[in-house]
Amino acid sequence: MGELSDTGGYGFSRRAFLERLSGVGGTALLMAGMSALGFGIESAMAQPPALAGGGKGKKVLVLGAGVAGLTSAYELSNAGYNVTVLEARDRFGGRSWTARKGSKLTEVGGETEVCDFEEGYYINPGPWRIPYFHKGYLHYAKKFGVGVELFNNDNDQSPILYDKGAGPLAGKLVKKVEVSADMRGYANELLAKQVRQGALDAEFGPGDKELFLDYLRTEGLLTRDDFKYIGAEGREPAIYPGAGMDPGEGKWSKPYPMTDILQSSTWKVLRSISNLDQQRTMFQPIGGMHELPKGFVRNLKVNIKLQHEVKSITQDDKSITVRYLDTSTGQTGTETADYVMCCIPLSILRTVDIQVSPQFKEAIGGVSYALVGKIGIQMKERFWEDRHRLYGGHLYVDDPLISTISMPSTGWLGQKGVVLGFYPHGAAAARLSAMSLADRKAYALKAGSRIFPEYADMAEGSFSMFWHRAPYNLGGWAEWTEDGRKKYYPTLLEPQGRLVLAGEHLSYLTGWQEGGIESAWQQMQKLHALAQAA
Amino acid sequence: MTLFQRILYAAALTAAAGASVPTLALAAEDGASLFQENCSACHQPKGQGVPGAFPPLAGNKFVQGDPKGPAYVLTHGRGGMPNFSDDLNDQQMAAILSYIRAAWGNKAQGPDATLVASVRSASAPPDDTGANLPFH
Repeated sequence: MGELSDTGGYGFSRRAFLERLSGVGGTALLMAGMSALGFGIESAMAQPPALAGGGKGKKVLVLGAGVAGLTSAYELSNAGYNVTVLEARDRFGGRSWTARKGSKLTEVGGETEVCDFEEGYYINPGPWRIPYFHKGYLHYAKKFGVGVELFNNDNDQSPILYDKGAGPLAGKLVKKVEVSADMRGYANELLAKQVRQGALDAEFGPGDKELFLDYLRTEGLLTRDDFKYIGAEGREPAIYPGAGMDPGEGKWSKPYPMTDILQSSTWKVLRSISNLDQQRTMFQPIGGMHELPKGFVRNLKVNIKLQHEVKSITQDDKSITVRYLDTSTGQTGTETADYVMCCIPLSILRTVDIQVSPQFKEAIGGVSYALVGKIGIQMKERFWEDRHRLYGGHLYVDDPLISTISMPSTGWLGQKGVVLGFYPHGAAAARLSAMSLADRKAYALKAGSRIFPEYADMAEGSFSMFWHRAPYNLGGWAEWTEDGRKKYYPTLLEPQGRLVLAGEHLSYLTGWQEGGIESAWQQMQKLHALAQAA
Repeated sequence: MTLFQRILYAAALTAAAGASVPTLALAAEDGASLFQENCSACHQPKGQGVPGAFPPLAGNKFVQGDPKGPAYVLTHGRGGMPNFSDDLNDQQMAAILSYIRAAWGNKAQGPDATLVASVRSASAPPDDTGANLPFH
């Protein structure tokens, strides 16, 4: 706050300057002012690009009705472009999908699966949570009236089952809250001891040593006078407090010996803060991830042609033509337009015959796509809530074929719910995806049963899917290498004649719907610039 | 270094030691079973691949050529292919490579685990790893 009152060479204080801005121009100008003064606080208001001058009826083909395609179709048509969307699948939404009763998928080279959840239950096999700063997503969710609910992304009560550590806790169920309280307690106690003995005096400026000790004591939950860690009230009590004398005040649990925790590797789940896109609480759309694509389509006045597989893209100086296969009739056909906004994942685009430069073609092939999959298992009772006091969040296991087991952040205190039973990546996903549907479920049930004895008995319907085996995707999301980002990424951002690409692959938010939305916002400006210049 | 630094260093060493243990423990198995478990999801059970996405292994010149090439792909990954270096040891990789190089009409032999080990520690691909791959 010292900065704000510093006159710093201005004739008036910065605070007064900012207050004046706020009075004159409202919040947007205030935010801009703060940004200009170097506070670096961006406006939290997200806006799609303005596309000044409008589309004037010029024809745009949008390829792909995933989130990037829907964003493109929505904004371009609103700006006055004549938009048609071609989508290969028999549904819109792309990876932004919700599997519910009757949802059907045939993996490449695999069995056909029909989701056998009961009505009202679902799993999001693709994206499943929304970070706070995904301004584009939240902009459209708000605009289209798509309700969101809180997604518990970090539950201190979560069990950890680590088999690969050593010592007495290896292969034992411990809780994150226990490991967190104990490791912080011990670490801070050790450090406080050294600080109090004067071993670190050289590290502190005037007054900082006492403040640092106070921080250690506060954050590590140490005793007031001795700076010792003896456990904590919040650490899963041995007996919870209640009424009367029994349970009365309850009983604190005893910390694990520090060496036991260190040996077990369970401390690996701890971080001071989360990664940028993994806050403790996030959002999910109410009713399933598909609600946002549905929101787009409710508000879209353009023709989405489903079951239209793009086969080739050719262009000349006058127009651009897409040849497609209509899989509902088996007939091929063409659509010609002024421009094409291609929102097809590169993993599929590399199989399309497109007329682009050799560098562009090489760039399309220059990124790999994630091997990844999930399983949702409907449980006949919400035993994790009723019996284990777990409300949302993820369980920690060190079997990479499982990777995580997650409890739903919806339908709280209801009768049934859908648990995420595995979410492996990479080679582990390759291995799990080679199993039959029945074997995948069995594997998931076996893993879950080690944590919840009732897991397998409670299991009802299920649905598993691996994106690297999904037709029209053949991969979960783009995974750029450093070389690829330097060599290929800039190439793909540039229009190729009348063709502009967009999608999560053209962002630094790969694997997030936000990547698709923000890429579409940027790339449609390039298309618009071409149209304006023509 | 200070005690604090020593504590952090010890923690980092522990983490590093943990990371070197293979994460997918397997009983020793034959190449065909290992292929089925680890590779067939993408390359398909008869090595036929998926056009544009997962290269066919059957009739593949790169697969049947210098074994260092496909061994490098297994240990380091390439394009859409994850590296399996944490999941398969040298014996298992050698078994898979020997299997795919002689299955479905392919007519090459080996490699052995020693060759896989030497490629695993290589920092650069053998010559022409890229040139002969039919898909990126």
